[in-house]
This record gives sequence, structure tokens and C-alpha cells, in this order.
Amino acid sequence: MKPRAVILSLSSDYGCQVQMSNFPELLEMLSTFELGYWQLVSSGDMPQDYDVAIIEGAVTTDEQVALLEKVRSIASCVIAIGACAVTGGVPALASGGPVRGQLKDVYGSGSSKVGIGARKPEPIKHYIEVDFSIPGCPIEPAELSRTLQRALRALTDNPERQSMCGECKTAENICMWTQNVPCLGLIARSGCNAKCVSRGRACTACRGIAHDANLASAFAFADSMGCPPEEFDALLKIYNAMSDQELRKEAVGKIAAQEVAS
Amino acid sequence: MTKLNVHHVARIEGHGNVSIEVKGGVVKDIHMEVIEPTRVFEAMMRGRRYDETALISSRICGICSPNHFVTDLMATEDALGIKVSDRTAKLRQLFVHGSFLQNHATALYIFAAPDFVGLPSFVPLTESAPELVQRALGLKRLGNELCALIGGRPVHPITPTIGGFTDDVSSADLRHMSELLFEAVADAAATVELFGELVGLRFETAGEMVALREEANYATVAGKIAALDAGWKKPVNQYQKIITEKVADDSNSKYSTIDGKPFLTGPLARVNISWDQLLPSARVVASKIGLRPVNRNIFSAHACRAIELVDAAERCAVLAEELSYDDGSVKPKPFKVKAGKGYGASEAPRGTLYHSVTFDDEGIITAADVITPTAQNLANLAADLKEFAPTVVDKSEDDFKKAVEMLVRCYDPCLSCAVH
Repeated sequence: MKPRAVILSLSSDYGCQVQMSNFPELLEMLSTFELGYWQLVSSGDMPQDYDVAIIEGAVTTDEQVALLEKVRSIASCVIAIGACAVTGGVPALASGGPVRGQLKDVYGSGSSKVGIGARKPEPIKHYIEVDFSIPGCPIEPAELSRTLQRALRALTDNPERQSMCGECKTAENICMWTQNVPCLGLIARSGCNAKCVSRGRACTACRGIAHDANLASAFAFADSMGCPPEEFDALLKIYNAMSDQELRKEAVGKIAAQEVAS
Repeated sequence: MTKLNVHHVARIEGHGNVSIEVKGGVVKDIHMEVIEPTRVFEAMMRGRRYDETALISSRICGICSPNHFVTDLMATEDALGIKVSDRTAKLRQLFVHGSFLQNHATALYIFAAPDFVGLPSFVPLTESAPELVQRALGLKRLGNELCALIGGRPVHPITPTIGGFTDDVSSADLRHMSELLFEAVADAAATVELFGELVGLRFETAGEMVALREEANYATVAGKIAALDAGWKKPVNQYQKIITEKVADDSNSKYSTIDGKPFLTGPLARVNISWDQLLPSARVVASKIGLRPVNRNIFSAHACRAIELVDAAERCAVLAEELSYDDGSVKPKPFKVKAGKGYGASEAPRGTLYHSVTFDDEGIITAADVITPTAQNLANLAADLKEFAPTVVDKSEDDFKKAVEMLVRCYDPCLSCAVH
């Protein structure tokens, strides 16, 4: 027998599901499940019963909250895939403004039905318990495969704890900061082999903030390199507007206080 | 009165329902509700910096992120008065064509093909027609490899940046890619014949056809906006004057019209408008399935995708080889940030994609605008559905719904793009 899996989308760009369809070895991995529902590649309605739910996207509507609660009551295992689902990702960048105001901004006041039930974008874990989180924009195919295997073997999630800087050094990259480019590798969760820095682009922490990251110290370092706390925080917000909000606020405040004192 | 609703149309990107009302065998109403939630990108981008706009707006779509990235960079460069090198322009063309290969292979084999063999998905084909699946995944993989070679990875590129790329591609890699692309032409040609034979359905769309056109290239990242029937050509920076967007009651996507009428963009429009720019080999393969301009059969959009695969594979093979002998640079030149508004347009797999950004004198975005191909096509799709549904209403309920879904998939709609 195979466990029955469903693949669901909330608010996202479908990049992670596209990524899943891009790698034949992932499709092979998925064949260890009975695919009960995957709107992107198959016709058919959502089944009443399933064991594993793989969910892409941030939560941005009331309807999605209800869906998540239902899914959690049925599925034994919930896997969040991609930055949108795990940290809120780019959709959460809109969390800084009022929902209604932004809707009016984009749609004007002409329509009554657009955006019914819209809410501030948030990651899935703010609403339901998540068993496995696969971060990144997009996800790393090998990581999805590894996580699915962990799920099948009754293991628990095993996220990298360190920041990306270590991987970047192993890749023998020249540090972005030495080239006067602010880089979030010093607090970003590792696991991508410093893909972006290796091709000349600074890290934007699409994998979220590492468990072991020292935010206060990173803000202070950035400040010392000429990247003030507001600027560093603005960079961090691209993928992590809904992550570690208290810690970030604290770090920004601490530096502001030090500057006042000096 | 019977209500027939197709909830969450499958094998398209994003969430949309088709709602149909039939009374006494007559279709009283049919329309598509785009329920994909909005992520308010245009509001979210305001206040961000000039060097973040492409990174953020490319997250509108995971399936055509190379197109969003490049189009946004072109808009940013237009606003800041930056000219790119010949090598950068050519690598961008190659990059966008890579996206065509991957998207068209997906649209044809993964999304559309199951309809024509009566299957819910392509998965059962892995056993019944393994050579077909191999061809499909091969073309998809090649498109991905081309995008990854230039952009760093297939979904959400790393290297494209304002004024160039953060990293170049080696001549050896380009030559190897060129060989792979030449080898793929045969698979692409077989795809044309397959979709010419399989489809066999006809429905003539009434909409005007619009696409970018160049006089010496099959337009991707340059050219003027051209209309097939009206015959006009206008510069890209006029797009907001040409296209009118309207907020609809049943959709989180806006609807587009030109002169008050629905219009069509995408492979069918492109093949009609730039037929003379297709490579001869692509035109020959097209002639084998009897496809010639002007062709208004919306179901031949699939064959047009396949014809573009032939053209893209061969064109990219030649271009990659040419670039392997080119010693130009993709390194961005220093530039000054200034206030201004810029426009960018490119041909994405689903049609013409427009981006515009406005910066203040510190390079902070004060306004952003994106009109995606699917947002442009939705009004025409709605018009097609109204005309097409009565012609198939006498089928069984199941077959009627299937026929309606097949028409929707001719547009290969991307609803997360349409709504953004």
C-alpha cells in the first residue's frame, strides 16, 4: 500500500510545484505515494481521506484558513514547501500595509467582490501545526526528496541550524560585504550551497532566518559596514517580513539606542 | 435551469472555476471566475529600491520567472537610461527562449495531452507511452538546462541584473548546449505532428491578435507591439494607452481590451503575426499539418506552441554557437540612479508581457504596473467560451464540461500571473 498524498496551493507563484515537475527524479519519488490530488497536473476532485498534505503558498484569505484547518484534521503529516508557505515569503512583503488599502490601490473602488475574505499574508505555521518545512524560493529538489523520505520513515524534521556563511566559505566565494554589497548570508538558513553568491548575487535569505543566527550581532555588523539597521531590515523583509519580528525590532532598537548614547 | 460548474479547472496554473447555466439545452450563461487570491504586487513593490524590483516582481510567476525578471530589468533600464551590450541582449533572448522550451513542453505534454487521450493526467502515459513521456521530459529538461546555464537555475533566476548579468556562460558550455539544442529539433518537429494529428478540433476566435514584432527576428525581448487585423505597429512605451484594463466582478484578475474589444496574445497570435520570421524548418513542419496564416482556430494554439518549439530549438542552437565565439561582456557598466518611468515588454510563452516602473530621484519605486499575457487573454477567452459552449452543449454533461476545459487550456492560462 502507498500513503495517499495531496498537493495543494494557497497564495504563491506555483514555482515550487513547477520545480517538482521539472525533475524526473522527484516525480519518481512522488510515485512512492498515491497522488490523490494535484490540480496543477491532474484532473479530479479532492479526496475525503489522505495521509500526507504537501502545501505551497502563503495564507492570504479566510477560505484558506478554513481549508488548512480541515487539511490538518485529516492529514497525518503536513509538509509546507517553499518560502511562501514556510516564512510568508514574498507575499508577506505586503503585510506592512493595510489589506483594504492595498486592494483599493490595485483595483480601485469599482469592484465589490474582489478580495472578499482577504487577510494579512502569513506563513502556514501561524494557523496549523506543520510537520516538515522545506524552505527556499524555490525549493531545492534534493531537499524535497530527502524530506519526503524522512516523512515516509517516520522521522521528524531536521532543519539546518547554521547560517549560510559557512557554506559560502566552503564554496570559496569572495564575501559580498568585502565588495560593499549587503548580503544576508550571515543569518540565512543554510542548505542551498550558497547558490546565489556563487553566481554573483547577494543572499536574500529566501530560506528564512537560521536557528543559530545572531540577529543583534548581524545588525551591528551591517551597521559597521555602512548598511544602517533600517536598510538591513528592509532587505530581510523581502522574504522574512513575518519572521522573528520581535528579535528584529529589538536589534534595530538596540543600535538606534547605542547611536543616541554615543 | 441546470448549473454546471467546473471547480478549480485542473492542469492550468492557478485557481479558476468555470460556471455554466443551461436551460432546455440552451447555454444561458458561461463565464470563468478567477478566484486565485491576489498578492497585490503593484502595491507591495511601492517603496522598494530600483535594484529589488526584478527580484520581487519575478515572484509573480514560478513558471515564467525568466520572462518577468528580464522584462522588469528592461523597464528599470529604460527608466534609468541604461543601454545593455549586444552580448547581454542576445543572452537574454536565449534565456527567454529557454523559458519557451520548458513552458511549451509542459503546456503541451503535461497539461494538454491527457485531454486528447482521455486521461486525467500524463502519469499513466509513463507506462503506456514511455517514449512520449521521455520526449516531453527531455524537451522540458533542455529548456530548464538552458535557463539554468544562463540564469543559474530554472525557476527564479540568479544572474540577470540591471545592465547585464552577474555571471557569464563559458564558451565550452555554450557549444555543448548548442549541440543539445540541435539534437532536440527532431523531438520538437515530432511534437508538431503529434499535436497536428491529435487535436482535430476547430473553433475560430473572433479576437484581434496582438504580439511583439521585429523585422529581422522572431520577436522575444525587442520589437514593436503589432496588431494582426488592424495592421498597426506601436512602440512598447505606448502599452498603457493601447490596452485598457477593467476590474471585473467575478474575477481577481483585471480584464483587458483594445478599442473596447477583447484580443488575443500568445503562440497563435505570434505565429500569425511573425510567420515570415519563423525559421524555414519550422514553416515546413507547419505545412505538414496544414497550418498557415491567417489561422484563427484556437485549438491550433497547441500546434503553434509546438512550431515555436522547433523554431526556438534551432534558433537557440545557432545563437548559442554564435555566442560561444563572441568575446563581448555582460558585466554591467556603472550607472546613476535618477527619477523616471520606464517600460519593458517581452514575449513570454503565453504572450506579450508588459512591465512599467516609476522611480523617485533616490531610485525608490513610486509606481509599478504589470500586464500579463493571461490578464490580456481573459476577455477573449470569455468571448470564446460564450460562442463555443452552444456548439458542444448537446454532448453528455461530462463531455460538455471536458470540451469547455479543453478550450480553456488552449490559452494555457496562468492565473497567478493574471491576478498577481
